[in-house]
Amino acid sequence: MELAEEGVPPVINLTEVAEREKEEFEEKVSKLIIEFGAENLMACMQCGACASICPLARTGFEWYNKKLIKAILVGMREELLDDMTPWACVACNRCTEICPRNVTPFEVMLAMRRLMVEDFALPTLTIEGLRSLYEHGHAVYMTGREARKKVGLPEKPPTTDSDEKALQELKTILKNTKLAELGLIPMG
Amino acid sequence: MTAENKPRIGVYICHCGENIAGAVNVEEVRKFAEKLPDVVVARDYLFMCSDPGQEIIKEDIRKGLVNRVVVAACTPRTHEPIFRKACEDAGLNKYYFEMANIRDQCSWAHWHEKEKATEKAKLLVAAAVAKARLLEPLEDRYIELNKDVMVLGGGIAGIFAALDLANAGFKVYLVEKLPSIGGNMAKLDKTFPTNDCSACILTPLMVEVANHPNVELITYAEVESVDGTVGNFKVKVRKKQTYVDWNKCTGCGACLNVCPPKARVPDEYNEGLNMRGAIYIAFPQAVPKKAVIDPDACIRCSGRWFGEEPRKTKDGKPILAPCEKVCPTGACSRDEPRDPNGELIELNVGSIVVATGYRVMDKKHFKEYAPDSPNVITALQMERLISATGPTEGKLIVPSDIPKYLEWKKKIEKGKEAELEARKPHVITFVSCVGSRDERYHTYCSKVCCMYMLKQAMLLKEKYPDLEIYISFIDVRTPGKDFDEYYMRCRKLGIKIIKGKIGGVQRLPDERLLVKGYDAELGKPVELISDIVVLATAMEPNMDLKELARKLGISVGAEGFLKERHTKLYPVDTMTEGIFICGCAQGPKDIPDSVAQAKAAAASAMSLLAPGKMKVEPLISEVDQEKCIGCGICENLCPYGAITLVEVNGARKSKINETLCKGCGVCAAACPSKAITLHGFTYEQVLAQIRTIAAKKVVEV
Repeated sequence: MELAEEGVPPVINLTEVAEREKEEFEEKVSKLIIEFGAENLMACMQCGACASICPLARTGFEWYNKKLIKAILVGMREELLDDMTPWACVACNRCTEICPRNVTPFEVMLAMRRLMVEDFALPTLTIEGLRSLYEHGHAVYMTGREARKKVGLPEKPPTTDSDEKALQELKTILKNTKLAELGLIPMG
Repeated sequence: MTAENKPRIGVYICHCGENIAGAVNVEEVRKFAEKLPDVVVARDYLFMCSDPGQEIIKEDIRKGLVNRVVVAACTPRTHEPIFRKACEDAGLNKYYFEMANIRDQCSWAHWHEKEKATEKAKLLVAAAVAKARLLEPLEDRYIELNKDVMVLGGGIAGIFAALDLANAGFKVYLVEKLPSIGGNMAKLDKTFPTNDCSACILTPLMVEVANHPNVELITYAEVESVDGTVGNFKVKVRKKQTYVDWNKCTGCGACLNVCPPKARVPDEYNEGLNMRGAIYIAFPQAVPKKAVIDPDACIRCSGRWFGEEPRKTKDGKPILAPCEKVCPTGACSRDEPRDPNGELIELNVGSIVVATGYRVMDKKHFKEYAPDSPNVITALQMERLISATGPTEGKLIVPSDIPKYLEWKKKIEKGKEAELEARKPHVITFVSCVGSRDERYHTYCSKVCCMYMLKQAMLLKEKYPDLEIYISFIDVRTPGKDFDEYYMRCRKLGIKIIKGKIGGVQRLPDERLLVKGYDAELGKPVELISDIVVLATAMEPNMDLKELARKLGISVGAEGFLKERHTKLYPVDTMTEGIFICGCAQGPKDIPDSVAQAKAAAASAMSLLAPGKMKVEPLISEVDQEKCIGCGICENLCPYGAITLVEVNGARKSKINETLCKGCGVCAAACPSKAITLHGFTYEQVLAQIRTIAAKKVVEV
């Protein structure tokens, strides 16, 4: 895990944050997050219910749901790009179920991932996962094919991986997503 | 004593559920009471004050079994009237009743010493019986009530109290310290949570109350002294000198512009954001719309004061002051002398409603927030800055550029072409709890700041969406109807919240401000540069509130606001009967609460005065003038001014005014010749109680 604090200065200069947002970007970060699926972002009152049950918060990640939302609300962006927290989200969805304002913090996490991908701020492991998804239909590719053979199973599992037609369909779909536009992985 | 009237005492002991029975052995006390002298019956019941409980007592009275009643239960403060009424209903003089407090003063106090509690209960019952043997029948008195009411303070609370009373047919004197009614609400731009324009909802009420046939409006006046008691207050009111003949003044405003720059002082209505002349009308929508001259500001232009001969020009014409010259009706004439002390009038009223409001704490106290910067303002100044009747007609510019704006306006008015060079703010920061919740100033929460900061932020953000607005909160307090929904609206508008109180503001050379805070939500210190910093300074008691309270004989709390008789049950009453309080004079509150309280105070005054007379307990002092030696000790001690020394057959004798006497007993205790009897607490009765308790002690030793 990277140091979560990297990129975040000890004192947050809100003026700089706001000015950078205005000058360097076309859209406010909050607006992008809303567009990326967290429609109710602005209703957050920072009660902290989401953080109380968030596995990320409980395992020491710095920018867990509540804090991430606050950072977005004041216009922080650059400071968060190097942070790993959104990629560590396990999508348990408990935050969304507990939220008294229907902010859907889980959607904020996913929206943040989308924003990070657009800035190519994503871990190498994620690129590996995407490549694998494109090539085999599995984000986490199965190893141990020898073992499968030994027990008499086909080398590839009976999933998209072994279904050429399905795999082509998946590739077509992925080529039509933002992924192709970003050129993160070779899409031959 | 006839056999008929020989005391036959009934003792009734209450369990008060577990409250008494939990510590006191009620059966033991009952058996003990049964054997006391003159006691014919002793009974106990779970709740003596309940309907079946009272019925037990009534039945014994009706059957002729008892003719004196002792109830051993809770406190006479709340329950004596209930049991007295029960006695009366059953046909017994209600002053043949005595109460022993074996709950508050016994079971509660000695909860963990049950045996001692039982012994003490016995003593208290015995003492009550000893007194009951000596009780005398008394008759209630009635006093006539003056039905007129004085309302002090012409803000929103005073206006509503006056209107409700006047509409119910009561004559109301509405007394206001300033030249116009309207109070602080008249300074507000819009009001939460509906964002109604303050002037639009307030000014019609100002007109209505001023024109009401039952209301006599007395503005620019203050209470000098208050004498008398409920139903018959005598209030001396000093009408301050206006130096303008209000019978002639039409409020045309011609005089306002001719007052020279040297005579200009900070304009109170605009919270000092601009200047007004020495002659001024409080504000354009003032009621009454009349001018006054501020004698401290006036520079006596023409070289003469009121009543002095005018200086003459070379050709013999009198030199007049500019205001005098320009006035079309002669209201500003300085020909007649004017008494600087104004006029003292005396009014008789039956009740007084105090609605004198609050003041906003000044920013000067808060050195940490750069109070010297013109761009650090109080929230009330912000109201004026965004108000269409404010110094900039509602145009949003940084306060340091208001002088530039006023110059520009002057040029435009003269028909010149000019460019307004005033800077518009891009960032505004609100600082919460300035002087509130702070041991150094006021420990209380001012209650309305969270909401008005949100309101101002909302109004600004809706009008200027590009404005960056930060509000710092220790925590957000929005407990009112539609209030939290209002807060959410602000959040959704993109107003940024700093969760934590701003700790410092630094003035920058370009008149912007460096704001330093800590955001608990980010868990980090934050800082930003702001064009305007708005301080939500505390609501505090008016400077003269303590003095007014002293004149009225009512008390103020430790925080300096008027104290209600009981926080929950008597929130608009005071310890002085007939005087009611409402609005922010009682404590910080918003407009809905002030209005509700004003209406409550008006209703309380009405229910007091409507019958025209009031029952008064006969438990007051009486002088036996045969015994009185005329020493005058009682006269000096009486806290109600009820005692005077009069001449009777050539000798000085004490005389007690029955209407004024409250039955405190100070005079009776102090009288060296035992000439004063406090009915209901005679020497014999009190001594019998004390001796009973003492004797028991002796026996125990």
